[in-house]
Amino acid sequence: MISLKALRKNPFKSLLIFSSITIAVMAIFLISSVSQGVIGMYSKMIKTDGDIIITQKGISDTFFSNVDIGLIQKIDKLKSVASSYGMIVGASPIGHIPIAGIYGTTANHFSHYKLSKGEYPKDGEVILGANLAKQFATRSVNIGNKRFKISGIFSSEIGFEEGGVVMNIEDAGRLFNRSASFILVTTDLPNNTDSIVKEIALLDDEVEVKTTQNFVKEYNQFKIIENSSLVISTLAFAMGLMGIASVMSMIVNSRKEEFGIMRALGKSRFFIIKNLFFETLIMSVSAYLFALLLSLGILAMLPHVEMLQGYVNGTLSLSTAIYVLASTLFMALLGSLVPAWIASKTDPILLINQGCA
Amino acid sequence: MIKVSHVSHFYGEEQVLFDLSFEIKSGGFIFLSGESGSGKSTLLCILSTLLKPSSGELLIDGESVDKIKNLDYFRQSKVGFVFQFHYLINYLSVYENIALAALEDKKHNIQIILKKLGISELSTRYPNEISGGQRQRVALARALVNEPKIIFADEPTGSLDSKNSTIVYGLLAEASKNGTTVVVASHDMQIENYATKIIRLKDGQIL
Repeated sequence: MISLKALRKNPFKSLLIFSSITIAVMAIFLISSVSQGVIGMYSKMIKTDGDIIITQKGISDTFFSNVDIGLIQKIDKLKSVASSYGMIVGASPIGHIPIAGIYGTTANHFSHYKLSKGEYPKDGEVILGANLAKQFATRSVNIGNKRFKISGIFSSEIGFEEGGVVMNIEDAGRLFNRSASFILVTTDLPNNTDSIVKEIALLDDEVEVKTTQNFVKEYNQFKIIENSSLVISTLAFAMGLMGIASVMSMIVNSRKEEFGIMRALGKSRFFIIKNLFFETLIMSVSAYLFALLLSLGILAMLPHVEMLQGYVNGTLSLSTAIYVLASTLFMALLGSLVPAWIASKTDPILLINQGCA
Repeated sequence: MIKVSHVSHFYGEEQVLFDLSFEIKSGGFIFLSGESGSGKSTLLCILSTLLKPSSGELLIDGESVDKIKNLDYFRQSKVGFVFQFHYLINYLSVYENIALAALEDKKHNIQIILKKLGISELSTRYPNEISGGQRQRVALARALVNEPKIIFADEPTGSLDSKNSTIVYGLLAEASKNGTTVVVASHDMQIENYATKIIRLKDGQIL
């Protein structure tokens, strides 16, 4: 097959196209996957541990929300409420680490964090996420202006938690000067939470009560991350695709002489376009698959990179993979076939030597 | 066989051929002579359908080239072209370069022609693995494979030494003797020894 011979006989050019497509596709995958991963981690953290979330009314960010922890006792008395717990989320320097997540929680939620060593924290104690623990060999650690004893190490599927510390909610309250960032409620009727939402809302007019599903959908931080990642990944996508199209176009333009020879030998435009189509297809699909494998490898390694504390996590969805494949093929074919088609309409001798006067 | 009627050609605003009209009959060895810039290569390109003239008409076997429906097939089956710089495709072997030009029912000619031109042992080599003279013989084999009615050659010995030039001219002359019309554009006056007709060009006009 002429297409394969052309690719094999020009290894440098083929490698150049292959690398360009691979890098462009990887950039698209990694940017969109990491932003999808950030949203996925935080929404999973909220969604998996409750059906209803209670935050301070009018405060759009859980980091700044302040809810009275005393509300838990009233909520627990409501019919169909299975359990509830309070949580404070914050961020602070921890020892020599410039910033890490801090999760203060009521004792009934400690079991969510699977201990691999030690015991759950009492007053003045913390447990460290497995990723963060790798950075500390000491028995205690400074958080804010206070020193906490490290009582244990836990593991979690959620990267944010693996790179953070967990303490009891009273200690976190003193650290961040609040009662609770939010309260999560688990009900006996997870598919019929509307009535409980209304009941909880009546208990305190300072709070906003939502199902966790709705909260995740409407959470402003997610919208900001989604919108900014959409802009960045669209730009990366556009630049990557334009790069693919321009590399293909340059390669095709550099082969005008060859097309001229073929036309002079009586080969049809269809013959030239067909061979170029297969060349582009072979190159694009193989580069895409290579980029996909590399991206999956990098995304699998990211949570284990100590420096990133597990905060950077990627999720590559099937729809993104299919969309990127379709766009890559479209742009590569556009970049190669359009100039080839235009060239094939030129007099052969002009393609060969740009005139023969 | 070839009738040129009032053919003129421009590159941009510069006119290089001026209202040329002449006929070339079947068979024979036609030498288009002229100095560099006389327009002989442009005329050869027009005669071989590789370049469309700015004005005028070209008839081959009584048929206007403008009206040929499948010009690609016409080129492949009726015309052979030898360029000055061979223009072989670098990623195809000698055999594959010739096979690329060959019609399906003429592929059996490839080995015969390779043997006749003394290059059968080169069939698996690539253009960058053979000498300039050998490349030009491969280009000639490519032009001959479909047994065309006409062979056009533009400075076919321009990049060859005298020994290889003589070999190439001898092969073209032999094709001519076998009934193929051979049209060669060159400033090498050695061709006069082979030519049955000479068309002299100067400044885009026939002298």
